[in-house]
Amino acid sequence: MSVQATGRLVLQWTLRNATCPVLNLRTILGSDNVRQRGFMTCRLLCSTHNQTSTLHQHTDLSQLQLQPGRELSIRALLDMGFTDTQADQLLEAATKGRGGQSEHASSTLMALFVLGLNPSSVLKVLEKCPELFYVKGTQLQQRMDNLRRLGLLEGSLQRVVSHYPQILTLPLRRVNTVARFLREKCAFTVQQATDIIRDSPAVVQDNLGQLEYKFQYAYFRMGVKQAEMVKSKLFRVTLEEVRCRHSFLERRGLYQTPDKKGQTLIVNPKLKDILAVTEETYLADIAMATQEEFKVFQKLMAREWQEEDDEQERDMGADSDDDDEKMKMRKI
Amino acid sequence: MAALMDTRILLRKIKDLRCLTPRRNRVKAKWAGSQPKYPATNLALQNFDATYSLQLGEQWPSVRVSMLCEQKYGALVNNFATTEGVIADLQSQGCRDFVCQPVGVGALERLQAPGFPLHDNPSTLESVGVSQHVAPPRLRTNIKCFVFPGGDISRFKPSRPDLYGMLGYYLMDAASVLPALALDVQEGHSVLDVCAAPGGKTLALLQTQAIRFLCVNDISVSRTYRLQRVLNSYVPKELLTEERMRITSFDGRKWGEIERDTFDRVLVDVPCTTDRHSAMEDENNIFKRARTKERQRLPQLQTELLLAGIEAVRPGGQVLYSTCSLSQLQNEYVVERAMHLAREEHGISLQVVDLRPITRLFKDTFHFAPDPHLGQLVLPHLTANFGPIYMCKLQRLN
Repeated sequence: MSVQATGRLVLQWTLRNATCPVLNLRTILGSDNVRQRGFMTCRLLCSTHNQTSTLHQHTDLSQLQLQPGRELSIRALLDMGFTDTQADQLLEAATKGRGGQSEHASSTLMALFVLGLNPSSVLKVLEKCPELFYVKGTQLQQRMDNLRRLGLLEGSLQRVVSHYPQILTLPLRRVNTVARFLREKCAFTVQQATDIIRDSPAVVQDNLGQLEYKFQYAYFRMGVKQAEMVKSKLFRVTLEEVRCRHSFLERRGLYQTPDKKGQTLIVNPKLKDILAVTEETYLADIAMATQEEFKVFQKLMAREWQEEDDEQERDMGADSDDDDEKMKMRKI
Repeated sequence: MAALMDTRILLRKIKDLRCLTPRRNRVKAKWAGSQPKYPATNLALQNFDATYSLQLGEQWPSVRVSMLCEQKYGALVNNFATTEGVIADLQSQGCRDFVCQPVGVGALERLQAPGFPLHDNPSTLESVGVSQHVAPPRLRTNIKCFVFPGGDISRFKPSRPDLYGMLGYYLMDAASVLPALALDVQEGHSVLDVCAAPGGKTLALLQTQAIRFLCVNDISVSRTYRLQRVLNSYVPKELLTEERMRITSFDGRKWGEIERDTFDRVLVDVPCTTDRHSAMEDENNIFKRARTKERQRLPQLQTELLLAGIEAVRPGGQVLYSTCSLSQLQNEYVVERAMHLAREEHGISLQVVDLRPITRLFKDTFHFAPDPHLGQLVLPHLTANFGPIYMCKLQRLN
């Protein structure tokens, strides 16, 4: 055991020395097979050390290669299991932003490996969201723990991170606020709130006012209950799209707002069938209209809403005039 | 003077003066307690849903959504004002004159004849059935109405007066020009417009510049005033003299007693449920509970008006009946009933004039109902949001 550990240390030291000027690596080492041999040794040593689980292997690898503050190198990346091209891409992504490599780059990688992502998904995540290179590893860990606390279990968590890595760049408070908002203002259950964050993680960056408006639109205007909203992935769709598709149906006489008892004269289509399908399917199966009509309708709607907003603004303006007058009166 | 001009321009710039009125002085829309539980627009829509879904079938949803969206306008060019600048301005905005330039006409042909010499020889409808040309026939008339192409939702600016104070164009539902076109007024005709206000169709008739004598009537005095105002701002005074024009406000149903067998052409544009208005606005809505009786009596009133029109036209003359409703009760059935009554009670036999040449000519601009059994119906459609307009033309035989 101790022999192996010492061996690893020695190897690490030699590698560090050899690979310090990253760009010169290939010119110095020249031939490919020398590099290959070094990599193989490393891989071999690691795997002999523990063969229990890949996750642990990654952890171990990370500890081995990625002490915080260390610069990333091709060599180290190759050792972590990235292929040649992947390593190049990753390095490029890491150095592209904000002038030079971040000191947290390696700890970021570590945290992502600890999460259980394989090298190719790690690369994808970091290419989607290079800001992660500038987040401290411990902070990342905290944020992931927080997501777990919100109910995103293993599997879901990985899914969310790989689909929407930006969620890890947001402070804890923001994510918690959104989760609480969904539970308290929109009366979703804890499980439903979790499902929303899992299915449409981008909600954490939405404006809360907009989010509430969208919820109320679906709840009051369309008469849809929370469970159905979650199922139809309402929060993935923009408010404009929801309003447009709904008013189109409503004006065609194919959708009615249910009354207090939830009754309508016609059978409304399911929210899922309205929102969670492509425009073509929606037009063909639900609205039964042509693409042309819908395009014109969208233009008309955009103008209608714009004018409504202007009207409101003007009213506000007139109000302030009113206030000004009152002020004047008082002065007199 | 300059200061005066400035304020005038400034006032024109401010579109909505409401923002200058403090809120406490504004009229508030009533809501809460006093708002009716079922607004008239809802009642209208329910009524339409029940009747038109059966009548129009699959077309109805498209018509419904169009009626509930902003309608499109046409700019009827005023030939009595200086037109060159106006037309150039309209063309630069991307509109085209749908009357002289139906889309169906080959682009090449249009390029070759930019001057449109057809204008010189007004008001003869080429007989479509006979001519076997490849290019669709054109209407010979002075009426010019500009519309934005299909799917374009731009709006027209309010028209400006020219040097002599005549306004350049009149904004109206472009489909309302169709009855005036279909009436086919020829040089030297005398024409009666039984229900003329607010004056869009009358103005279109005047644009033909072929009418010898025009008699304009509307039962409501206040509406005739409005009509008068419209005419004053579009037509020079010389043409509004008593020899050329008469504005009255009699009950149109009595026309058979006043003047029989007189006019060459009669336009009977009757009061109806004005479907688009009824579906959109609560104000002055005929579907209000209090107006139920009035609404139910509409077909009766319409029949009487058409019958009066039939009596007023001279033998051989033509009557055009039009409404802005989709309802068969107010369209086909009224025409059938009036024809029946004319034959039974007055011994007047009539013949329905085929309007298909017109619809064929304008089918690219308007969306016509596929095959109505009597007359023609313009259906609103989002890409061509004009209408609804129903028209049916009758020729008096004896």
